[in-house]
Amino acid sequence: MSVSDLMVLGLSHQSAPVEIRERVALEEDVLRASMRNLHEQGLEVMWLSTCNRVEVYVASEDVERAEALVRAQLLRFGGPGAEPHLYLHRAEAALVHLFRVASSLESMVVGEPQILGQVKEALELAKDVGAVGSELVRACSAAFGAAKRVRSETGIGRAAVSMASAAVALAGKILGELKGRNVLLVGAGEMAEHAARHLRQAGVQTLWITNRTRARAEALAQAVGGEVKSFDALDAHLAQADVVVCTTASSRPIFTKERVAATLRQRRGRMLFMVDLAVPRDIAPDVSELDGVYTYDVDDVQRVVSENAAARAQEAERAQHILSEEVLRYARDRALRESMPTLVQLRRRAEAVARAEAQRTLANLGPGLNERQRRSVEAMAVAIVNKLLHEPTVRLRAAADNETHHHLVDAASELFGLETPASAPEVDEVPELRRRVAEH
Amino acid sequence: MTTDSLLTIASHVYAVAAIAYLAMLFRPLAAWAWVGRGLVAGGLVLHGLYLLRILSQDAPVLSRGEGLAAAGFVTLLLFLGLELFYRRPVLGAFVTPLAAGVLLPAAAIGQPVEGSSLHGPLLSIHIGLAVLGLAAFAVAAAVAGMYLLMEREARRKRFGLIFERLPSLQFLDDLHRRLGLVGFVVLSLTLLSGAYFARATPLESWSFKAIATVLVWLVFGVLLQARLLGGWKGRRLAVVTMAGFGILLVSFFGSYVPVAVGP
Repeated sequence: MSVSDLMVLGLSHQSAPVEIRERVALEEDVLRASMRNLHEQGLEVMWLSTCNRVEVYVASEDVERAEALVRAQLLRFGGPGAEPHLYLHRAEAALVHLFRVASSLESMVVGEPQILGQVKEALELAKDVGAVGSELVRACSAAFGAAKRVRSETGIGRAAVSMASAAVALAGKILGELKGRNVLLVGAGEMAEHAARHLRQAGVQTLWITNRTRARAEALAQAVGGEVKSFDALDAHLAQADVVVCTTASSRPIFTKERVAATLRQRRGRMLFMVDLAVPRDIAPDVSELDGVYTYDVDDVQRVVSENAAARAQEAERAQHILSEEVLRYARDRALRESMPTLVQLRRRAEAVARAEAQRTLANLGPGLNERQRRSVEAMAVAIVNKLLHEPTVRLRAAADNETHHHLVDAASELFGLETPASAPEVDEVPELRRRVAEH
Repeated sequence: MTTDSLLTIASHVYAVAAIAYLAMLFRPLAAWAWVGRGLVAGGLVLHGLYLLRILSQDAPVLSRGEGLAAAGFVTLLLFLGLELFYRRPVLGAFVTPLAAGVLLPAAAIGQPVEGSSLHGPLLSIHIGLAVLGLAAFAVAAAVAGMYLLMEREARRKRFGLIFERLPSLQFLDDLHRRLGLVGFVVLSLTLLSGAYFARATPLESWSFKAIATVLVWLVFGVLLQARLLGGWKGRRLAVVTMAGFGILLVSFFGSYVPVAVGP
């Protein structure tokens, strides 16, 4: 098998609406059964299923048949309405797609870190079912390597691209480490919950939640782990807080300049970071004139988000270059491995002929030869083989870089009457094969 | 290799390190930081050899350039230690250009001319303290400068290159305050040891150096009180730290130019 036997058929947030996606997002046991079913029909299968993407990766020598089988399977779950949303990539395009998915270039939020783990889990599941063979495993591990390179060499995952995460990143830029800081959430809606989760991720331990309606504050505290504080004692909490996140629906500012200024003396110069994710604003604009108080509103945070998104798009372009390199390297490596059996067979055949001819010649010459002369004859036979095979070996290896590779390997097998690659030595003997070819 | 050429080479090595650290500002690759660190460390070895040769002379004399070279050595040593401890290579983009900018001319005027002779253990201690104090204030001033830049960006809500690359405002604030405090303590000790030498000197003939140093010490002393009592920090403190370093630098030069004050 080779790169040309790869294929991916599936749909994603780019091609299908959520109504279709949720129909093909399968439970684990159905997924296992589907993979087992396809594997029993001779396919190597890996089924990737996330909330934004359902893709079936396949390696098979009969790609047409494999495609029909997988398509039927997918449509069985998705219904005929799913058909126009399916996309298909074959051979190198499938490989490129796998690399892009694993590196998060195809994700809804480009650069999000979860997808790599999800692909890894899909592979583990496929291994567990016994549905994958060496071709897919190799392709996946190359994709993981490429994704790791993308992550470390580009800034694709560095910048925050949601309002809540950008607000937390801003807090970090002002206050540094957020661990050990007191955080006060004013408001307990959905945005507060997002912010709370990002704050927790940033290591925040002390999370105070206050809201006009106490019940909602309690519900949020339950969900994200926090302490409910009375809304009436807001000033006391403000004096103790390092970070304040406002998300209320209040029509008038909750924090006026006078109110915040009144707590400054108690703070003894401790910096205060306030971010306002509410519209209309909860923090009066002139609060930012106070010394040691840094306030940001929705527009400021939105600006961070859009700048980061632009930066990510730029990094995605760099990532694409890295992926092209990695795909090329992988394809080349695979082609080289593929030609290895032919090369080894060719060499074995020639060596056998040379050895036999040398023995015959020595037998004809009789016992009159001394040890040195015998060795010379044997060496000559080996030398002829080496000289003759040098050029074909070099050319076959060099051809791994281009598309004529297959023709050349086939031609060599045909001309020298070698066995077909299927019955040739298994590619897993490669280290040994590689050594032999390298010795040459 | 002559003694002076050691300092010249070291200064150039620092200048290249400064370029590496500045490059890091634009493209944050870890490799740039290691190039910068390696170069600073290499420069420090040459620089240290230079100082050893000066100090091992029979009658060591510190010229203006040499005094500055000693302060530069301690400054860069302090910087490298802090940079490695906090893993903040971006400090290098501010400290190394400053150090290279001061040391390159210092190396050029490094020939020993009339200066203060180092005799007596107490005088060596006095000079050592002065050098250490100057170095602490040098790094403090660079960090205070970074703080002011970062503060301005945070207030203007401009999230550009400076905002992106510099450490958090809190980190810069804490670091320049701590360094300022260390500088202040060392400065106090310098003044005490200096007072010992000046004990016989009448007030009218105090040198410019002594006046400038006492001035800086007083300003910082008052500030320290203000900070402890009134929570004075942030912008004003950063500006004062930078100004204090400026006065100290002048006073350091001034110690080679005795200026009589009064009639």
